[in-house]
Amino acid sequence: MSRKPAGVRTEYIETETGNKVARKANLVGTQHIMLGGKTVIMADAMIRGDLARTAPTSSSSSSSGTAPGSNTAVFIGRYCFLSKGCCLRPRDASTRARHADDTPSAFTYMPLRLGDHVFVGESAIVQAAAIGSHVHVGKNVVIGEFAIIKDFVRVLDDTVIPANMVIPSFTVVAGQPARIVGEVPEGGHEAFELRELYRTVGNNPQPASV
Amino acid sequence: MSSSNKRQSVLPKVPSGPKAPVNFGSHVTIADSAILTGSHTINISSESVIHPRARLESTYGRITIGRRCIVHERTHVGAPSSDDKRGDFGVLTEDYVVVEVGSIIESGNTTIGEGCHIGPRVTIGKGAKLGKHCTITAKSIIQPGEVVPDYTVVYSNGLRRTDKRGLEILKAKAQARQIEILRRLISSNPAKFKD
Amino acid sequence: MASFTPYAYIQCPCVDSVPGSRSPDGASTPTSHSSPEDDERDFDPRSPRSNYSLYPIEYMLYCEDCHTVRCERCVTEEVVTLYCPSCLFEVGNSSVKTEGNRCTRSCFQCPICIGPLSVQSLESTPAAPEPSLLSADHATATGPAGPWILCCSYCNWNSSEIGVKFDKPQGIFAQLSKLRSGYDNHHSRYTSSGDGDTYPTKRDADGEPGSTKARFASLKSFYQTQMSNENPNSGLGSTMDYGYGSPGALSRIMSLYSGNTLSSAKPKSKPTIMREADTTKEGLFPAKLDDTSVMSGLRSAGYDGTATRAQVNVQVEEGARFATDLWPIPYVLRTKRTKRCPSCRHILSKPEAKVSNTRWRMRLIAGNYIPSITIKPLIPVGAPGGPTTHLLTPVKPVQYLLTFKNPIFETIKVTLATPAVTPGRFASKVTLLCPQFQIGANSDDYNLDEVLKDRDKDPQRKRSDTTGQQVEAGKEWDSGRNWVSVVVEVVPSSIQIEPKPTILKKLGEVDDLGPLREDEDIVEIPIFVHLEWEASADQVTGKDREDKETKEKKELAYWCALGIGRISPE
Repeated sequence: MSRKPAGVRTEYIETETGNKVARKANLVGTQHIMLGGKTVIMADAMIRGDLARTAPTSSSSSSSGTAPGSNTAVFIGRYCFLSKGCCLRPRDASTRARHADDTPSAFTYMPLRLGDHVFVGESAIVQAAAIGSHVHVGKNVVIGEFAIIKDFVRVLDDTVIPANMVIPSFTVVAGQPARIVGEVPEGGHEAFELRELYRTVGNNPQPASV
Repeated sequence: MSSSNKRQSVLPKVPSGPKAPVNFGSHVTIADSAILTGSHTINISSESVIHPRARLESTYGRITIGRRCIVHERTHVGAPSSDDKRGDFGVLTEDYVVVEVGSIIESGNTTIGEGCHIGPRVTIGKGAKLGKHCTITAKSIIQPGEVVPDYTVVYSNGLRRTDKRGLEILKAKAQARQIEILRRLISSNPAKFKD
Repeated sequence: MASFTPYAYIQCPCVDSVPGSRSPDGASTPTSHSSPEDDERDFDPRSPRSNYSLYPIEYMLYCEDCHTVRCERCVTEEVVTLYCPSCLFEVGNSSVKTEGNRCTRSCFQCPICIGPLSVQSLESTPAAPEPSLLSADHATATGPAGPWILCCSYCNWNSSEIGVKFDKPQGIFAQLSKLRSGYDNHHSRYTSSGDGDTYPTKRDADGEPGSTKARFASLKSFYQTQMSNENPNSGLGSTMDYGYGSPGALSRIMSLYSGNTLSSAKPKSKPTIMREADTTKEGLFPAKLDDTSVMSGLRSAGYDGTATRAQVNVQVEEGARFATDLWPIPYVLRTKRTKRCPSCRHILSKPEAKVSNTRWRMRLIAGNYIPSITIKPLIPVGAPGGPTTHLLTPVKPVQYLLTFKNPIFETIKVTLATPAVTPGRFASKVTLLCPQFQIGANSDDYNLDEVLKDRDKDPQRKRSDTTGQQVEAGKEWDSGRNWVSVVVEVVPSSIQIEPKPTILKKLGEVDDLGPLREDEDIVEIPIFVHLEWEASADQVTGKDREDKETKEKKELAYWCALGIGRISPE
């Protein structure tokens, strides 16, 4: 099935900005996905870039619409780590029909933003509006639509974060639905750094330092 | 990456079984990378949307998707169940059903009632019968053969309550609008599955 | 059995201190908290007290003046900022005093599932739009109009189920409390149903003030008038004044403390009879002995209509029995706090006051002062010749690597000590192969990339992979610029519960043959860590300034509990 027989087929595509994207990742609508650099996307991770903000219908498209970047669906910062089988998708917002005649143009997809050093665990589903920097999302977590996660948050495994929930900084959340179960200790900030983890994956991974 | 910049998507092929015989209604939106496999017929009624990487499997029985349904990515409709007994049909979803990301609906006389909302990563056991307008929240599990009454909300690891909002008509309207949008976003290729 | 991650917990010295016994000047000298008799005493990580003093290093702070670690239990805290976790708005101290510790804007939790509630128009679309969007729409005047309800996007509960609707989408808290105080007066819930078994209840007739707040207010005003009647010159009666400032009250209090001297000197004032509240107007709340309304409620609503224990517990006011008695729960405020050393009052950590700012003005964390300990098996699970499961086989020796990493810029001399066997019913044998070693100083430039590049060239780095190496007693296993690995050998005991052979028993010892307790199958090693380093003169502060030129010797010692792994049951 290899399209390019020349050379050894590596596991990851490494970009100039240092992104490491597994060839087995499922990226839909790559033109709407923005990677900040040094981000790792593991195999079977899925990003739905195709669910971009739609330009307003032809009648009012003159205002904005086709400007480059205006319809980016997923923004990802630096040193993010998307584990196997996770799924990032922007969610549809019914921005309540402003025009009385309920045109479908009012129904659009809101972009999904990830800060820096965001770890997304295996098989997690992220439909949040925004995730801050230094956030750890555990395995099998489901983040509901328009949830906002601030900086330095730890989401424990198997948590379900309901839609519209706001999670303040330095908290640990768990449960179905999620509730705040603890605080990130002062000494625990460095554990969110993902530079080390970034180094240990890729086509020539480095061993983890002591 | 230079070549992949031009690519619209990075979607490696997945090994899939035999192409299933399909039967599409009018205005069906089905992504190119959806997977329809199996030996029985897969019916998708008019105006329904099948996201990329959704997997509809009719190996264990016929699959019927109602009108204006949305089947999200990474779902597995018609999944094999632990026991081998086959039903008269595989999975039947009535109209206005939403199956969210990563949910699994086992095959074998499994019925999903009208207007049901099946949240992310839900498992619906074989032969379960969901009444009309049920909401199954994320990561819930419906046991095989379970009958869920109309308007039930399953939440927090299996707790139940009755939905008293009475917003069915509004919900259906919103879903119709959403389908309208999705039709423009998802590049549909029903012809690929038909031959 | 769940997977097991090895852990290293540090014992905070506060476990030994009796509150108040710490002398302020004694604490300011560099002390190791272990006095000679402490050395004699073994530390049992399993004792129930230990639970409250063992912390991972991330949770510990370090006081530079006392030269010791501090845990979150022994530090004193001061609130810097109060804020709502949902709207992230800062709440002033004064408003917390008057309004309580809950968000007074529009942030509520679902009384059914505790998920967040959002404000929606009753005529709006069901898909939850953000409240902010709604209000923006509202401003344009073409948006949805009221009435408004609170909706849970998780379990689909909404406030119309308890008959609560709002006129405006803002200031829900105020609207709700107004509704609530007037609610019970006019509400007759289980009376109007057409069931044959309902009787007209007393609740309507009395018009009793239903909410706790209202009852408290009427009780307070009643007793205030009683007291001012009794002692009119005490100046009681004004709101929020309990009369402690008045001279009459003062003399009363004085008489309490000084025995009978004052009261015996004065002639006893004639006792006026104070009457208790006896009508509902005065705040009396008679016990509801008539359960017919409750019974008919049960009959019509069924089991599903009742409130669960957990739901009742999170309610602001007590007494809910039915799901229809459950009110939206305003979010409890959260805090940002400054932490101080309990003995010298120096600030150990201080966050920026603004809610949105995640920086810290001060953060003296233990990880920057004492070596971190990481534990891993010498031969990884699944490696050739290694164990196949994560469980420890009883009686089979297994070796673990303890890696100490030095965060400070001085060389540290480390001395370790462990008991030969672990405490508890299942005594595993423990041998430290290298109890004494030195860890090199951390380098000055804290550029991680540089450090990593250097690591491979590091001349000190002797072994790159661990297979095929012989473990030597008394030698470090491996070391780098600022870290050292040593081997600890563990012979796990069998966790079969059987009586001890009589020959090994001490006099009067009784066998504990109870079933396996929680986590009793974990091999947990108490380990005493003694650190010694020389602080350069400029770090020495205050009184210790006399020998400025020489480097000063510092030491610190503490107990650790190392969790190695679970013993397999067979």
